[in-house]
Amino acid sequence: MIGIIQGLIVTLKHVLQIGNRPTVTVQYPYERMKVSPRFRGKHAVDEDACIGCGICEVNCPNGTITIVKYNTRWFPQFDLGMCLFCGLCVDVCPMNALKMTGDYELADYTRESLIYGPEKLLFKKEVNK
Amino acid sequence: METEQLLLNMGPVHPSTHGVLRFKLRMDGEIIRDCQVVMGYLHRGTEKLGEMKTYLQFVPYTDRLDYIAAMPNNYAYVKAVEELAGIEVPERAEFIRVLCMELNRVVNHLVFLGSLLLDLGASTPIMYGFREREKALQLFEMLCGARMTFNYIKPGGVREDLPEGFIPKLNEFMKDMEKRVDDYEQLINGNEIFLLRMKNIGVISAEEAVNYGMTGPSLRGSGVKYDIRRLEPYSIYPDLDFKVCSYPEGDSYARYMVRIDEMRESLHILRQVADNMPPGKAATTQRYGIAPETGIPSSVMSYFPRIFTPPPGEVYSRIEAPKGELGFYVVSDGTTKPYRIKIRSPSFCNLVAIPSMIVGLKIPDLIAAFGTIDVVLGDVDR
Amino acid sequence: MWTGDGMNAYELIVSILYSIDVYDLLLDAFRSAGMEYALRVIIVLVELAVLFGFVLITVMFLTWMERKVVAMVQSRYGPMVTGPRGLLQPVMDGIKLIGKEDIIPAGADRWIFTLAPFVVFVAALLVFIPLPFGYSLIISDLKVGLLYIIAISAVSPVAILLAGWASNNKYSLMGAMRAVAQDISYTIPLALAAIAVVVFTGSLSTVDIVNAQSGTLFGIIPKWFIFITPLGFILFLIASIAEMGRIPFDFQESEQELVAGFFTEYSGMKFAMFFLAEYAHLFAVSGIVVTLFFGGWTGPVLGNIPVQITSLIYFLIKTYAVIFFAMWLRDTVPRVRIDQLLNLGWKIMVPLALLNLLFAGFVVTAGVI
Repeated sequence: MIGIIQGLIVTLKHVLQIGNRPTVTVQYPYERMKVSPRFRGKHAVDEDACIGCGICEVNCPNGTITIVKYNTRWFPQFDLGMCLFCGLCVDVCPMNALKMTGDYELADYTRESLIYGPEKLLFKKEVNK
Repeated sequence: METEQLLLNMGPVHPSTHGVLRFKLRMDGEIIRDCQVVMGYLHRGTEKLGEMKTYLQFVPYTDRLDYIAAMPNNYAYVKAVEELAGIEVPERAEFIRVLCMELNRVVNHLVFLGSLLLDLGASTPIMYGFREREKALQLFEMLCGARMTFNYIKPGGVREDLPEGFIPKLNEFMKDMEKRVDDYEQLINGNEIFLLRMKNIGVISAEEAVNYGMTGPSLRGSGVKYDIRRLEPYSIYPDLDFKVCSYPEGDSYARYMVRIDEMRESLHILRQVADNMPPGKAATTQRYGIAPETGIPSSVMSYFPRIFTPPPGEVYSRIEAPKGELGFYVVSDGTTKPYRIKIRSPSFCNLVAIPSMIVGLKIPDLIAAFGTIDVVLGDVDR
Repeated sequence: MWTGDGMNAYELIVSILYSIDVYDLLLDAFRSAGMEYALRVIIVLVELAVLFGFVLITVMFLTWMERKVVAMVQSRYGPMVTGPRGLLQPVMDGIKLIGKEDIIPAGADRWIFTLAPFVVFVAALLVFIPLPFGYSLIISDLKVGLLYIIAISAVSPVAILLAGWASNNKYSLMGAMRAVAQDISYTIPLALAAIAVVVFTGSLSTVDIVNAQSGTLFGIIPKWFIFITPLGFILFLIASIAEMGRIPFDFQESEQELVAGFFTEYSGMKFAMFFLAEYAHLFAVSGIVVTLFFGGWTGPVLGNIPVQITSLIYFLIKTYAVIFFAMWLRDTVPRVRIDQLLNLGWKIMVPLALLNLLFAGFVVTAGVI
């Protein structure tokens, strides 16, 4: 009985939010948490730096990456349905052209639409002139 | 009166088998007469996969073993590879590794606490546990960009050095956590219903537990002070001050109490690590094998090659994961990929002791005892 | 404080109609058609419809409240999107459940499987008949009201057994068996604790029980039976939580052990019936606790507001306090094991209830109250 009453006190403290016990839920679609700068989400490829060497393709543990031709140059294409988001491709890139963004809302209706080609991934680094 | 024994198939889809586990129960009314554990529903062939990946590529797969606490999995594999290849790791990297592992131990025990109480029918502790876990996961996110599947500890060091403002945030978390553990103890420990459900339920003697190969908190709940951090010290554990928690009763309550105490011990270790974090590099700068020095600024791993060939040999290395002894047996044949990987997972070995604990008890006791063993099915089936 | 017999809801409606000069007109109209009884039937149907509507709205509100209380305890918000503070969430849930496929598993006994949820629901509704919601707000002031309530609440385990048996599922069967074992062992301390109150009042009528609690003890505290037989109150509360089948005594469902117990196989509207019955039962039992131990609808008179309204408000405040306690307890404690519950029922609560009865008899005989 005493133990149960003690427990009831703890839960009542939470109901009344006494002593740093605030509501912590985030109302997701309306408010979002800030992801850390190192967050490993969707990839991004630096258009100027990437040389299409294929080292990322070789090093990917899951065979996520294929090198495809885009316009006149070669770039990686990610099948995010298979991606582990381990970040090995970023680690091994000799030109430091790959990075992972904080974009984590990647759910989609078909497997095909999870294949992210260079047209979706390329970005240009701003250069100070 | 003529009665008939009832064959009850519990799982693989059942609310409290923590995933896809199946119990085949022979019931006499509510009393369990025989129990058979059927596992393998989550078998993914991780060990075989490891033979087809390079040493570095296999690290993300170890995250998927015990996904509640993935850092120790990373570390156990990496430790085996480092022993195999003779890689030296800077001190700072070891400190960061221990910090991650102990933080993950706290996370694991929080999830244990919540899911055990949820199995017993109390819906609140899991929310409290997950509330604190969220803070720890944010720390991990800050550290390596992932919340559960880290791929952070790598041969030669860790993936990236501590970010700015990490240690203050960790201190804040620890300060908060101490109070929360008090809350849990006040909410749960004295509760008469909880005591009724846990005391003298699922008793396993020390001898039997050892014979089954149980390890970790589940074994220490039977009074055996078996902790690899003390018996076969690795990393920086010899320099740290912590005590091995154990309770002699061997029942569900003892196993629960061991974990509550371990949470406090882990916080104690975390504090020591955070206070004494040495300066320096978080990854080895030793040139290894055939790889050229790339010097990419993106990662502290830049000095370490992505493909390396350890000399032929074999190594079994084990660590104290939150759930028990986690061992990796790695055989190298001198190529870039391991010849054989065998994982000795704590969940698997602890799980097989279930039938001997619960025969003669009732279904609710099976749920309670199973909850205190704390298995993750990804770890059981590999 | 009001004493005296008051009216029941039928008489109340008649008096309201009479006071606005409608009743005589209606009566004449019906009499000229030779259907005087039809008017009575219509009035009874109206009051039943009001009761039914009230119970349905209460139940919907209770499902919302349950989720909000759980959320508050667990540092969450709970439903927030549908309506203001998620208040319309039960409506959405209802729409969803109506839209679901009504599955009858192969091998189930179709008739009994379909019948069971209705029996549970009707049994839960029938409890409200002798429950005094306020001064003269009672459908029927039965002379054996308390006995009726205890008898009706013994119907639902039968329906649960039907549901569990007809589902052709081992978990359902076990849940049903547990429900029956639990109900049998808890109706006895429940009835014994209630009888102690009857010893004080000398009447089984719920209105008489409420009237007996008006006035004060020693001039300060209200003369509620909780202050006279606290032990009886605790026993009754525990027994009624067990009878409602809520955590810590929710063996009939025990989600983590028996998946969902007796309604594992139910879906769609049939599931909704069980759900509604559960919350209707929660409200009814809380109302009974209030009637027996918290003075029912009694409370200070406020100016010239009609006594029916203030008494209804007092009743609802007290009832929701009891309901909040039940929800609060549910969120704090784990579930007891079934054999431990039966031990508690037979070995501790029945002797204590008998002791309480002895105490009540002693107090009454000695003329203390």
